Amino acid sequence: MEKIALSRRQILAGGAAAAVVATERPASAHSIKGEVPWAPSQADAPHAIDPGGYIFFTPQEAALIEAAVARLIPADDLGPGAKELGVPTFLDRQLAGEYGRAERWYMLGPWRQGSDNQGYQSRLTPAQLYRYAIKQLDAHVSSIKDGRRFANLATEDQDALLSDLEAGKVDLGGVSGKAFFDLLLQNTIEGFFADPIYGGNRNMEAWRMIGFPGARYDYRDFVAKHGERFPLPPVGLQGRPAWSSKG
Amino acid sequence: MRSATPFLIAGLLVATSAGLVFADGDHAQIERGRYLVSAGDCYACHTADPSKPFAGGRPLQTPFGAIYSANITPDRQTGIGAWSDDDFYRAMHEGVSANGERLYPAFPYPYYTHVTRGDVLAIRAYLQTLEPIANAPPRNKLPFPLSERAVMRPWNWMFFDDGAFHPDPSKSASWNRGAYLVEGLGHCGACHTPKNVLGADMDDKALAGGTIENWFAPNLGADLRTGLGGWSEADVIDYLKTGRNSHDSATGPMSEVIQYSTSQLNDEDLHAVAAYLKDLPGEAGRVPSSASGQQTSSSGLSGSGEAIFLDQCSTCHRSNGEGTPTVFPPLKGNANVQQADATTVIRVILQGARTTPTDARPTPFSMPAFDWKLSDAQIAAVATYVRTAWGNVAESVSADDVGKLRRTLHAKAE
Ligand code: HEC
Ligand code: HEC
Ligand code: HEC
Repeated sequence: MEKIALSRRQILAGGAAAAVVATERPASAHSIKGEVPWAPSQADAPHAIDPGGYIFFTPQEAALIEAAVARLIPADDLGPGAKELGVPTFLDRQLAGEYGRAERWYMLGPWRQGSDNQGYQSRLTPAQLYRYAIKQLDAHVSSIKDGRRFANLATEDQDALLSDLEAGKVDLGGVSGKAFFDLLLQNTIEGFFADPIYGGNRNMEAWRMIGFPGARYDYRDFVAKHGERFPLPPVGLQGRPAWSSKG
Repeated sequence: MRSATPFLIAGLLVATSAGLVFADGDHAQIERGRYLVSAGDCYACHTADPSKPFAGGRPLQTPFGAIYSANITPDRQTGIGAWSDDDFYRAMHEGVSANGERLYPAFPYPYYTHVTRGDVLAIRAYLQTLEPIANAPPRNKLPFPLSERAVMRPWNWMFFDDGAFHPDPSKSASWNRGAYLVEGLGHCGACHTPKNVLGADMDDKALAGGTIENWFAPNLGADLRTGLGGWSEADVIDYLKTGRNSHDSATGPMSEVIQYSTSQLNDEDLHAVAAYLKDLPGEAGRVPSSASGQQTSSSGLSGSGEAIFLDQCSTCHRSNGEGTPTVFPPLKGNANVQQADATTVIRVILQGARTTPTDARPTPFSMPAFDWKLSDAQIAAVATYVRTAWGNVAESVSADDVGKLRRTLHAKAE
């Protein structure tokens, strides 16, 4: 079956297309008559990431990212942080894949300055943005901290730098430091809470921390149990440990 | 609409002609034939390509190899247009083709033999009205010696009783009509009766459940747990007419039977079939059973089975196994789930399932496939769980059973 993937380009073109829709139907549309098609063993299975080392990040880039995400969501007495739960691997696989290539986004002009609520506005793809911003950030650190890299700074210094980025006080060679910070923070949160199949949220620890029951979609047994704790542990797309337990 | 007028006039001309009586009798016979062709489900086996109805060529998997159905349109070269009525009757009654060759019992003549000559000729009359389609199906793929049709001669001598249907005077007319349909055109036993190693029905276990093309056709006897003991006549009628009832919905080979055959039966005949089925004996009335039906102690997997069920299945089938009748079938007390042979259960979990759509119930619900997600051991665990939870009783399923079926189905799909 064909997947329906609307790009921003198609949405933008939609206004014009609507005018001619009566005579010409978009090539990707097809009608289903009678019954919904069904075939045995059909599944839109999510692809688990390949485990192992980094694919996108160079060792130096990885060092900066590992250090940065460890400050954005640090390990504390509530539980492990972003680094421990595999967020750098999540980011690596996302940047190496279609997200990194901005495959589903409209990436051409016009290049007018957008407003904050208009979403991602860079001309660079996320992969290009990360690569460029990391390089610029380390160069910036090196220039103000006599040749050292971000990853080697004391945590207080890392926090100060990240705060400066967030406050828009650092320019990364023409890229807004704030834009990079915002993207990194957003992606870190995504990796921390996304299904473990994508590399982060290892062992569903982040879900356990906040009491999120995972990929479940039926709570009828519990709707009447006001004020009680939901008894089942989280479950991911690949299951949970009890699926393979004996006994 | 305008173009219809000439036909109306033509119709009037026929109606006033001398041939009227003859044409009318013909018409009634043809219509009866059409109905009986539905009752016999000829379409399902004899149609490989829906644009060529009845032109044959559908491969039927038997334990011995594939057998292709024949072209039964009136095409004179490749179909049965040149056959005499006697040729046709002999094929239906004795399993012998017009050229004298023995037919394989993948063509269910061991059942059709019970059909009256009048009904056979009505079927023939209807088939003669079909559009002739030239299509020569491939030859069967049976291994030697079965590829030699002559071997069917001793098979027939051992297992085949050609014979007219004999009504049982101690039973009602409706019961007898039901018996005639079930044992004859309906050929329900072709799937629901276990077969011996030579592929013949085990008569002492009529309709006690049989394996067919990697499905299990369940016991239709009076047994409460594995048979129709818990179904009312109305339940049986609902199932055969609409594809579902509050106990179950059809998904596998039974879908086709319902779609092309039983859903087309009139209410009187459905009542008759239900009355006959509900009068079948259970296991106890049949043969002493060796299987005690005791719940086998869970092989240490029930913990994971329950976890998987709660996480993956309870949304539709409910944690108490009661489902949402006629939408998501209950698994608690479900006979399909508790058959001694777990093939259907394993298969449905592996590949998913879709309830057959019928005129009465056109919206099919479906169950997703789990083969991409669950390992053999996990499927065995959850299959065992549904077979033993909520008071269900059946043997546990092993990872080996699952692996075997997974490989077989995979090979078939290639
Ligand atoms: C379960 C599947 C099945 C059903 C149902 C079925 N057939 Fe067939 N039929 C076959 C197969 C397979 C063959 C070919 C057998 C062989 O080659 O030996 C066949 C052969 C025949 C033949 C012999 C054709 C020839 O050229 O020798 C006739 C006649 C026939 N079927 C009529 C019917 C009619 C009428 C019905 C419905 C009342 C029917 N069949 C229902 C499977 C089926
Ligand atoms: C082609 C093989 C086949 C034929 C012929 C067939 N059945 Fe079935 N039947 C099955 C299978 C397989 C199942 C169980 C799984 C499914 O839904 O397909 C089933 C299920 C059923 C059930 C549901 C039982 C339960 O406990 O859920 C009933 C009732 C039934 N069949 C009646 C009949 C009757 C009556 C006939 C004859 C008119 C018939 N079947 C002919 C294969 C067949
Ligand atoms: C999205 C809803 C849904 C989910 C989830 C689901 N099922 Fe089903 N299931 C169905 C439907 C619908 C059918 C009926 C298909 C049919 O007509 O046989 C069915 C049928 C079955 C049957 C066959 C019953 C019969 O009478 O033939 C079994 C066994 C079964 N499901 C077990 C499971 C198990 C085990 C799981 C979890 C691993 C599961 N199901 C998950 C919807 C679901």
